[in-house]
Amino acid sequence: MIRAEHLHRSFGPLVAVEDVSLDARDGQITGLLGPNGAGKTTTLRMLYGLLRPDRGRVTIDGIEVGSDPRAAQAKIGVLPDARGLYPRLTAREHIRYFGQLHGLRGDELERRSAELITRLDMQAIADRRTEGFSQGERMKVALARALVHQPNNVLLDEPTNGLDVMSTRAMRRLIRDLRSEGRCVLFSSHIMQEVSALCDTIVIVAQGRVVARGTSEELLAQAGCRNLEDAFVLLSGVASREELGGAPDLEARP
Amino acid sequence: MIGLSWLRAMLVVWRKELLDGVRDRRSLLSTLLYPLFGPLLSGLLFGFIANQQREAADVAIPIAGAEHAPELIEWLEVQGATVVDAPADPRAAVLAGEVPFVVAVPEQFGQRMAAGQPIEIQLIVDGSRNDNRAAVGHVETQLASYSRELASMRLLARGIDPMVMTPVEVRQVEVASEQQLATSLFSFVPLFVLLATFVGGMQMAIDTTAGERERGSLEPLLLNPVPRSAIVVGKWLATVAFALACVLLTLVCCVVVLEYTPVREFGVQLALGPMVLVSVVLATVPMALLASALQMLVASFARSFKEAQTYISLLMFVPMVPAMVSMMSGLGDSLAAAAIPVVGQQMLIEQAFGGEQPGPLGFVLAGGSAIVCALACVAVTAGLFRRETIVFGR
Repeated sequence: MIRAEHLHRSFGPLVAVEDVSLDARDGQITGLLGPNGAGKTTTLRMLYGLLRPDRGRVTIDGIEVGSDPRAAQAKIGVLPDARGLYPRLTAREHIRYFGQLHGLRGDELERRSAELITRLDMQAIADRRTEGFSQGERMKVALARALVHQPNNVLLDEPTNGLDVMSTRAMRRLIRDLRSEGRCVLFSSHIMQEVSALCDTIVIVAQGRVVARGTSEELLAQAGCRNLEDAFVLLSGVASREELGGAPDLEARP
Repeated sequence: MIGLSWLRAMLVVWRKELLDGVRDRRSLLSTLLYPLFGPLLSGLLFGFIANQQREAADVAIPIAGAEHAPELIEWLEVQGATVVDAPADPRAAVLAGEVPFVVAVPEQFGQRMAAGQPIEIQLIVDGSRNDNRAAVGHVETQLASYSRELASMRLLARGIDPMVMTPVEVRQVEVASEQQLATSLFSFVPLFVLLATFVGGMQMAIDTTAGERERGSLEPLLLNPVPRSAIVVGKWLATVAFALACVLLTLVCCVVVLEYTPVREFGVQLALGPMVLVSVVLATVPMALLASALQMLVASFARSFKEAQTYISLLMFVPMVPAMVSMMSGLGDSLAAAAIPVVGQQMLIEQAFGGEQPGPLGFVLAGGSAIVCALACVAVTAGLFRRETIVFGR
């Protein structure tokens, strides 16, 4: 359960996030949808406690991130914007390192590492150094190390960025699995189809503000559009209704 | 709150960084090559020069007209030289490089000797050949001392003290000579050891800070529920481990060079007993703590790996300044100086290598001040790791 209330954050004169509130419930997938530069990454960083909001507060399972960031971080698994790996460590060593930092050790740690390696289908690469891994393989390692402590809340910053079709499908399957385990999943994306296919709740942000929220049906109704891409474009203020009307009817990509 | 103590978190980070560092060829190279390059290379170089000099003494002396001067031949042989007959045409042979030189004794040697007249002995050389210089110099010295000995004997025979012959004694102090070079090079050993604390951990300090951010693994790392100070201290102590490994290797190389190559023949005065080594290590441990802490602090400010490298190379001047002052004018032995980090260590190491056992007060002052400074640097670095501009880059 992740709750953000009235988050504000600026960098010098630039207002990156302005009055963003959201609720991400357990057993649900919440999507943070917005064009590039809308403030998605800044919002997520405030949620997982690496950026301090100028105003507003974040709670994770009732723990306030601002006052007890480490207790909150123990309850979240994050795939952050920067997901670099250590080129000289193997995939398994990555998982082990982060597991140890979460206080896991011994058989328990080895068991969980092995489980994740099987679950993410990375047996073939588990004991190879990550130097030279493909995008998909790197993503799996980054995910595995974020999930090793079995967090109740999972935050993913543009999780399918740079992935091929197979890896993207695997990622979607994982996100659904996490939901069926009753976890709270929150991910950001700028891809309409992805968000609409996965999310129970969609929060659209543009220029640092929440411009719309709801299920995909609610968003369609709110925008008065037939497809979600139009709704997204309209709601995020990228184009006006007139501009859309002049264009041929956009079909959502399959 | 998940139960991971500060100490265990620190050790987890420390072990990971060590593993990562040992697998990093760049870190390993700078740690391993530095000790080899310095003392070992110069040791080999001087070993080579010393061998050349010894060989010069072993070169047989070709003498033309040896039959005219049996006394000279006998004297040379007593000095340990081998005398051989000169080739038929001495000048041509020297010019062709068949022999390094030829000593030509005139026919009238015995006659003039008996008359007490000066005898001209020719030393036929080819001055354009550098490689014969040592051998020529050697035979020249021998002939000169033969001449001096003769003169002394003649004076004594006349009841005159041979000292009258040397109203002024000129002794050459050749600054460019190999000996001088060897001794002055080994006066760099204390500096070498101090620099090792900077060189050894350099790559680690960069890789664990600027490098970690540049490859995008800092943000995920800081998302773990672990105090930033534990992360920073773990990285710091891993860097220190590399710095100390470099110091130990440098010392081992110094010992090897001094024991197994002929540099001692050049008069290198460097005490290297077990007590000396213990003192040097005791003095350098706080220095390694400080050097690594400084490097991490500086590297954390850098925007990239390359930038960090630039800053850290400049940091190498820190240990050089007191070393230079010491070589030019001496550091003195005031307590105030001993309490300045780097200067204090330089003094301790110089004393130890000079064969005098530094007192415990020196260790406490120099070590204490260095450790305090190191902890301050680590605290500031831990503070930097809490800053958003540092974590996400600028």
